[in-house]
Amino acid sequence: MTTSSITAPAAVVTPRDTVPDPARQRRRRTLARWGFVAPAVVFMLLFFGYPLVRNVVMSFQHYTPKTFFTGRAPFNGTDNWSHVFRDALFGKALWHTLVFTAGSLLGQFCIGLALAVFFNRRFPLGGVLRSLILLPWLVPMVVSGVVWRRILDQDTGVLNSFLDTLGLPGHTPWLTDPGMALLSVILVNIWIGIPFNMVILYGGLQEIPRELYEAASLDGASAWRSFRSITLPMLRPVITVVLVLGFMSTVKILDLILALTDGGPADATQTLGTLTYQNSFVQLDFGAGAVVGNVLILISAVFAVLYLRANRTEGK
Amino acid sequence: MSKRFNASFSTRIVAAACVLVASATLTGCGQDRDDGVYTVLNSSTDETYHRWDAEAMARCGKQLGITIEQQSVPAAQVMTKALRMASSRSLPDIVQFDASEMPTFAEAGGLIDLTTLGLSTRDIPKGIVAFGSYKGTYYGAARSVNTLALFYNKDVLRQAGLPVPTTWDELRATAKKLTHGKRYGLALSAGGAEDGVFQFLPFMWSNGGDERTLDGPRVVEALDFWKDLIKDGSLSKSTVSWTQADVNDQFMAGNAAMMINGPWQVETLNTDKSLHWGIAPIPVPRAGATSVGPLGGAVLTVPNTGDTERERMAGRIVACLSSEKEQLTYALNSWMVPANEKAAAVWRRRMPELQALAGQVAAARSRTAELGAGWSSVSLALQSAFQSALTGESSQAALKRAQQRATSGN
Amino acid sequence: MASRPSTASRRRWGSTIAGVIVLCVMLFPLYWMLNTALQPAAGLLRVAPVPHNLDLSGFSKALDDQGGHLLTSLVVSLGAVVICLAIAAPAAYGLARFGLRGTRTIVFGTLITQMVPGIVIANALYNTYVDLGLVNSYAGLMLADASLGIPFSIVLMRSFMVSIPGEVIEAAQVDGAGALRTFLRVVLPMSRNALITSGLFAFLFAWSDFMFALTLNTTDDVKPVTLGIYQYIGAHVGDWGSVMAASVLSAVPAAILLVVAQKYIAAGITGGSVK
Repeated sequence: MTTSSITAPAAVVTPRDTVPDPARQRRRRTLARWGFVAPAVVFMLLFFGYPLVRNVVMSFQHYTPKTFFTGRAPFNGTDNWSHVFRDALFGKALWHTLVFTAGSLLGQFCIGLALAVFFNRRFPLGGVLRSLILLPWLVPMVVSGVVWRRILDQDTGVLNSFLDTLGLPGHTPWLTDPGMALLSVILVNIWIGIPFNMVILYGGLQEIPRELYEAASLDGASAWRSFRSITLPMLRPVITVVLVLGFMSTVKILDLILALTDGGPADATQTLGTLTYQNSFVQLDFGAGAVVGNVLILISAVFAVLYLRANRTEGK
Repeated sequence: MSKRFNASFSTRIVAAACVLVASATLTGCGQDRDDGVYTVLNSSTDETYHRWDAEAMARCGKQLGITIEQQSVPAAQVMTKALRMASSRSLPDIVQFDASEMPTFAEAGGLIDLTTLGLSTRDIPKGIVAFGSYKGTYYGAARSVNTLALFYNKDVLRQAGLPVPTTWDELRATAKKLTHGKRYGLALSAGGAEDGVFQFLPFMWSNGGDERTLDGPRVVEALDFWKDLIKDGSLSKSTVSWTQADVNDQFMAGNAAMMINGPWQVETLNTDKSLHWGIAPIPVPRAGATSVGPLGGAVLTVPNTGDTERERMAGRIVACLSSEKEQLTYALNSWMVPANEKAAAVWRRRMPELQALAGQVAAARSRTAELGAGWSSVSLALQSAFQSALTGESSQAALKRAQQRATSGN
Repeated sequence: MASRPSTASRRRWGSTIAGVIVLCVMLFPLYWMLNTALQPAAGLLRVAPVPHNLDLSGFSKALDDQGGHLLTSLVVSLGAVVICLAIAAPAAYGLARFGLRGTRTIVFGTLITQMVPGIVIANALYNTYVDLGLVNSYAGLMLADASLGIPFSIVLMRSFMVSIPGEVIEAAQVDGAGALRTFLRVVLPMSRNALITSGLFAFLFAWSDFMFALTLNTTDDVKPVTLGIYQYIGAHVGDWGSVMAASVLSAVPAAILLVVAQKYIAAGITGGSVK
């Protein structure tokens, strides 16, 4: 089960090349093989491809409440785009999105990695504690949002009363001050994301042969040194997976912010995700909503291309 | 051994999948309209309101020889859900819209003129007919209307020996005196949603402000008054994140001595027998000025489904649900003011403690009277403005931006 | 010599203590959720740090109101898991081992799917769903929720299946087994950990879904617990004890699943994350 994957791709090609079947039989076999993949491809085209294309088309259409009755949405060129880009809120939301994503990823990843390393050591009850720490991840995001909203309440929240008893500033306006709100939302999202990061990074750590550490400690390497020269390089593929998946899910976040602040106060936590929602479902300007949605997809795509390129150069 | 376990395990999963999918398709389909069954889409997600509506619908259904079903979704979802249903040609027979949203749906051509379905506006005050109309056409029948008022904790005011405030100056002074420890003098909702705008309007309108010029001096003054309350510490900074339900929670928990809220909270307020609350008109800028609040409430509409036969029956259902008798029952349950004049007169006699509210309703204004479907962009701009102002920016600058946003955003 | 094990064990217990502290910090919000749920009478504004007496009325009300929705969530999530695995596992195998032309494109496609915001998907799906009669149906919501887990499961299982030794599969084929039989009899059992892990993820994604439940339903026929709780809050009454009790209940099935599947997860992800 712990077989290294590096040798595997070579093995994949062999059966296909060595079987000298007649052409028809080979075609039948290819068809059968596609049968494995086809349902997933069709599914993804329907559930992701189609909405994606539709969203792009929609961003060039004049979509009003009337459209729902007539089905007609005339094309209006780049009107939606220029309208969205001229809105001061868009720049604000873009900036908030970047801050939110960077902050969340940094926090989730660092704490997740620290905990993964911590739990990778053997100590009594380690396994139990490790699995219990996953619990926050099991709570639906809408629910987490509600609970945190109460905890962070400025006057009656338990966090402030706790700080108060410690003699610390017990009147922090976590969610009600425009300067604080984004930070608070990031903190909550870090809390939500730690388990996911920890579980995957822990899985990666388990793969690193312990002998490497033993050899390093025999050579007199410090803990920090062996972390840097063994753990990090060996963990690299896992780290990229965590960060890429994390980025894509964080950048488009919506339900957590809706539950915590609804984009407020004074638009201080308005992100591209909430802006899409607001344009489409509050203002009923679906064209503008589609534009913001496309921008979100574009940001992710740029990130994905960068990631793939980095991966490729690394492979060479 | 493990292999065999897995093989049987996977067959079991496949079997389970078949059962699930089969049962799902059986229960899922069948959305065709049933002849004797009519549906109403409303926002009565609250258990008690849902029950009252169900009872009224049962009575009307019996009277008309049909079955009326109720679908309740959160208030914020009614519009999007109705639009979706319009695009899929699966609109319910009746939709209960918040009156401020109705023009959007009417503008899209989605509603039927109620007078063509035989509904009359006799006995309904002009203001309330206008409330349910868009561009002069009567699309929505209100069963009850409401507005905001000042709720106060009688015990707290008595202990402090203070009268109920009637002007802004008195409100400010009283709120300041009542602020003590964990208790704030006043609670209101300045949240970034329609709730917050609804609560700002009595201050803006009583001061002569106009929603068409958000950066006018009267509006700025009203917002400055809110800012002063926060500056005094009489109003929590959390107000920017509170909905009206949150405000009610604060008041009931004793964290606020007074609050701005509506009669729909009375049902909840009365669950706490030890809480003695009173109700008064919202204080006005200067003594003698009229307290003008926003007229709130929902209207029953008949969406355009193209099936005239059903639309006509839907009209009869609306007529029954908004009849004098049903209005009174609903209003006595929900503590809101009946739309029908005769019903309202009875209601006033039976609910002397809510006198203040009846007066406020008579003077209240509809949010969409001036702007119609344009209200939503003004509302959005206004929310953002008072949130910015309450959290530091100057009222003037924030409202100036709001005015630009409201007029540019077509 | 004699003192070494004792220092080591003391250090190890020190780790346990540190672990407990970390756990307390991480789980505090959940404790608070439970604590609030047990004090329904207090109203949320005067909650004691520890419940004085066990008042379960919040729970009984939540069960009354949300019990049905919990069951709906369970059925929908399990259905989504089944659909997800049934579609993703064969695809993962095909992409891992068949060397089909276009494999790279498809794998890249699964990455692209992760970029599309849920709201964009839900928005577009609605009309298609109406045409197919899937609105307000269990099957419709299961399919939509399955879409949350499919790309992730494909990636995870594919990485795992790439690492199955080629000889094992060849041996099965020499025995005359067809591709399907090889897959069912050899590949699936060997990928048990990855399957369970994918299934768990798919379950969690479906369980916490809110967007699809909100947008793909027009009636209350299929209402999962996330939507139930959302409407609880949206209502006029701020009955926080019941809301929190419902929240606690909404975490329980997932927690049970986690405990059961716990030991497979790390192994599943280990295989999966190594590309």
